[in-house]
Parts: sequence; structure tokens; C-alpha cells
Amino acid sequence: MNLSRDAFGAGDHIEVEVLVIGSGAGGAPTAALLAEAGFDVLVVEEGEWYDQGSLKPFSLDQMEKQYRSGGVTVALGRPSIAYTEGRCAGGGTEVNSGLYKRPPHSMLTKWREGYKIQDLELDDIDAIADEIETDLSISYVPGESTLASKALARGATNLGWENGEIPRWMSYPERGDALSGKRQSMTETYLPRAVKAGAILSTGIRVERLEMKDATAGSAVVERRDGRKGRISFRHVFVCCGAIHTPALLQRSGIKGNIGKRLAVHPTVKLSAKFSEAINVDNDVPVHQVTEFFPHSSFGGSASQAGLLALALNDNWREFRGQITDWRRMSVYYAAITSEGRGRVISIPGMRDPLVTYHLTKNDRTLLGISLGRLALAMLAAGAEAVYPSFRGAPIVKRPADVARLEAGFSATKASVMSVHLCSTVPMGEDPRLCGADSFGRVHGTTNVRVNDASLLPSAPGVNPQATVMALVVRNVRRFIEETVHV
Amino acid sequence: MPSRSQASRVGPYADALLARDLPALDPERRSEAVEFVAIRIADLPTPMNLAVRILAVVFNLGLSLGSRRTYISVSSSLPIPFVSEYPRLIRSLAFAYVWEKWPDTKPDGGRAQVEP
Repeated sequence: MNLSRDAFGAGDHIEVEVLVIGSGAGGAPTAALLAEAGFDVLVVEEGEWYDQGSLKPFSLDQMEKQYRSGGVTVALGRPSIAYTEGRCAGGGTEVNSGLYKRPPHSMLTKWREGYKIQDLELDDIDAIADEIETDLSISYVPGESTLASKALARGATNLGWENGEIPRWMSYPERGDALSGKRQSMTETYLPRAVKAGAILSTGIRVERLEMKDATAGSAVVERRDGRKGRISFRHVFVCCGAIHTPALLQRSGIKGNIGKRLAVHPTVKLSAKFSEAINVDNDVPVHQVTEFFPHSSFGGSASQAGLLALALNDNWREFRGQITDWRRMSVYYAAITSEGRGRVISIPGMRDPLVTYHLTKNDRTLLGISLGRLALAMLAAGAEAVYPSFRGAPIVKRPADVARLEAGFSATKASVMSVHLCSTVPMGEDPRLCGADSFGRVHGTTNVRVNDASLLPSAPGVNPQATVMALVVRNVRRFIEETVHV
Repeated sequence: MPSRSQASRVGPYADALLARDLPALDPERRSEAVEFVAIRIADLPTPMNLAVRILAVVFNLGLSLGSRRTYISVSSSLPIPFVSEYPRLIRSLAFAYVWEKWPDTKPDGGRAQVEP
């Protein structure tokens, strides 16, 4: 049920106590907790509301409606890295894989010490993670996982590599199977909570800039769905637009500092594996991951419907194209690395969208090749007849000896490198040389502008980041509630 | 829908590229795929959109020079950073569209003998 409504009505100016910009994994919990604490909250979202489950997952239709720019967004570099962002009520939580990994203690400790983050206590984060796991119905699939998922686990197990099923934010019906789950995204969880507690959610509203007076933001200039302009006055603002559009909005508002300078991602390369039996699932992703090489790399499964398989094969279309007729026996898998590289988000005057760049280091490039080779080995160990890596000039891998040719011929600049995990563009902490926001998300140099999304993560966590993002978001907003007397 | 100017910018090269890569894709389907590519490219983030507009002009120029087949073959496999992303982008979008919409399409773009 669409919970959004037009906050403006016939007017063009509204006043609220707290404006939350964005409704994804950052904005939705922020709004829910603030509204439940009695704050007058307005959440604005650039995209539209779609009921969870109303669009086929990972389809072009979903990409058109729920992804920014139809899912065609790129960080320029050598190679350029394709990335995706949700743009709809609920943000990326509506469209991602739904895989849940608790914030790793090793990473939290590294961030606390390296970035001087105050009061980042492991016990506190664990307690918040417990709450989130209940709120999002974190579950394992009932019964058997899909054949594509089991293939990855089997391959890793046969090689003696650590692997396991990753739980998801899914609810399953009684006696349901692996494909019967409903994603417990923000439109199913925190947004209804926020609205129930009195928050207003308004979709189809893009914030152009915050109007600053000295170090304080007093209002936001917005563009509405029909192109009309509007103004929202507030006492406090939480910017939760994701790791690309949060820094872009801050830059458009004239806020300077460590904003948009340290973009971190998990660069990912892919391959297609062909088996003797039909394993393709056209509307879901495998739930197993190989964690043997964590924190350097991890392997998992991707959406694999025929269109996406054609995409995965097209770097070597002349050599690989014959395989597309066997798409039912094929599935796409990925190797993701923890990158040393960094990128930038640069807002350019006169341009609606920012320029995004990313630089892979030499070590990143080497690790991508090694990881793709290891993933190919795992697929062969799982019983794949052949493996088709996604880079120009890639060999067909049919036996372990072919993996050496794969690694020797791999070059990141020839590969289709992608990422869906973007973070670190306004890193949190007290070290002003590294951080754009303080230990609880208030942007350095401002009095009332807070960031509360993946932008705050000091680096890419090496695991699916949504749980880490949400745990930090809840922690930060609770501190805000403790410290703020509202009217 | 893409604007007329956007479609006319991307269309000629996309059509020629698909005609080479998927020679048996019938004209109606090819036209539909090209239209999809134009729609998606029209929706690109502003800096990318600007770059693609420039590349489209450059790539279209070559279509009028000599053998179209040779030109497409060479231009779609240029190992030049950024420039090579243009044919790759068109191919990726078009292939994703063709095989999502008609998953049993043959590798040359031909229709499967029996399609649902």
C-alpha cells in the first residue's frame, strides 16, 4: 500500500522540525526512530513508491522504475566501474539481494581507531544488530536452497574452502520454499513504522540544495514531480541519499571539507558457469557465499536471467555467443574484492548529476584476476562443464589447468567491472584530515546538517554493507534524540 | 520515450551494430531494441549523457565512410579507453533487452523455432 502523500498540497512552502532526505536503509530507520521519539518528521524521496513484490526482481522493468538512471550508472576510470543505486521509496533495500552480514568486529575496531570514532562500542552495535535482525525478519531459506546456490557451496566445499549460506531480510510463508520469500525492505518495515508514528513520506521530490546561513542550514530548495519548485524549512536535516547523492547534495549546498573525496566500493568481476542440468533461476540470487579469502575477496551468485547472461557473455560475444541457447543450464557468479582504491564524487555546476570516478590500484587489479581464477576453480569443482569469464579475450575454462590461462590473460581494463556496494564519501570520525562528519554523522563545520547513510562508513566493509549501515544509522539517531530537545 | 534528437543521435550506430552482431534479428525487433537503448541512454546521469552525445556524433560520422560492415567491426572493438565504452554500452543494453524479452532468441538474433 502506497504510504506516500503530497506534503505540499497547493502551496510551495512547508515547515517541519526534521527533514529526512532519502528513504532507504539510512533514511527509513532515521525517520522511524525520530517520529517514534515525538519529532515532527518529513521524509522526501526522489523516486516513487512501488509495493514490494509488485515488480519482477532484477528485470529491466524494475531497473527502469526503481533504479537511478535505469541502472546505467558508471564511475569513470580505467576500467570504468558500472554501479547501481536504488531510486524509489525504500531505496536500495527494495532491489538488492537482501543478504545480511553483521558488522564485522574487526572492521569496527579498525574504523574506531583509524578514524577516531568516539563511543563506537562493539557491544552497542551488536545489541542494535539484534534489534535489526528482528525488525527485518532475518532468516535462512526454508528447506533446500536453489541449485545455483548449492553449486557454489559444493564447489567451495570440494576445495576445502570456507563457505556458507548468508541469511536474508526475507519472510517466508509456512511450508514455503527458497523462492517464496518476501523481501523485508524499508517499504515493508521502517517506512510503515515511521508513518504510523506520524512522519510524512513524500515521494517524487528531489532536493536541489540546502540553503545555508553561516554554518546552519535553514531550508531546502526542492523540485517536485511536476517540475514545480518548493521550499522546506526545518530545524534539523538528515541527508540520507546514498554514497553518491549525499556528497553531491552537500557540495551543491556549498559545504566543503572531506565530502565526496574517498568513495569506496567492492569491485566485482563475473563469470558464467554451465552445468549439465537446468540451474538457472530468473528472479532471485544464490544465498551462499565463499568466505575463504575474506577480507580480501568473497564469491557469490548473481541474478542470471537470460538477458543478464547475454550481458555477461557479451565481452566475447563471437566466441561465447553459442552458449546463450543453453541459458537454462547456466548461472552467473561474481568475485568481489576489498579494494585499496578510492574514487570521487564531484558535483559540477549546471549539471544535475555528479561526475563519479574510481581508481583501482595495481594490487586491486591483480587481486581481481586471482579472485576470478579462484572462482572459476570453484565452479569446476562444483561440476561445471565450462566457465565463461567476463573479460575481453577470456579463454573458456574447462579444466583446472585452464585457470592459469585465465589469470595470465586477465586485465581489469578488459573486464566488465561492477559494484553495488558504494560507501565512504562522508566518512565519520573526529580526524579532520580523513573525515567529513563527526562520530555521529554531523557534518564537520555545520551545526545541524547530519548524514546518516552508507556515506559514513570509513571504508568498504568487505561484506554486504546494509546491516553495518543500519546499525550505525540507529546508533547515530539515538544519540541525536538523547541530545536534542524538540519542540 | 527518448526525445527525437536523442534517438536520432544513438539510433544509426546502434542499428548498424546490432545488424552486424545479430544479423538474423528481424527489423521490428531490432528497431524495438534500438529504441530501448535510446531510452536508457537518454536517462543517463548528466556527465555521462554529455559524453555519450559527443561519442554518438563521432561514431555516426564513420557510418558514411566506406564499408559499413568493416567500420562497425573496427569501431566496436577499438581498445581506446572511454571511447570503447560506447559500443560496449549499446551492445550491453541491446543484448539485455533482446534476451530478456525473447529469451530463446538464437545467438545470431534469429527467432527460436517455437517461442512462447
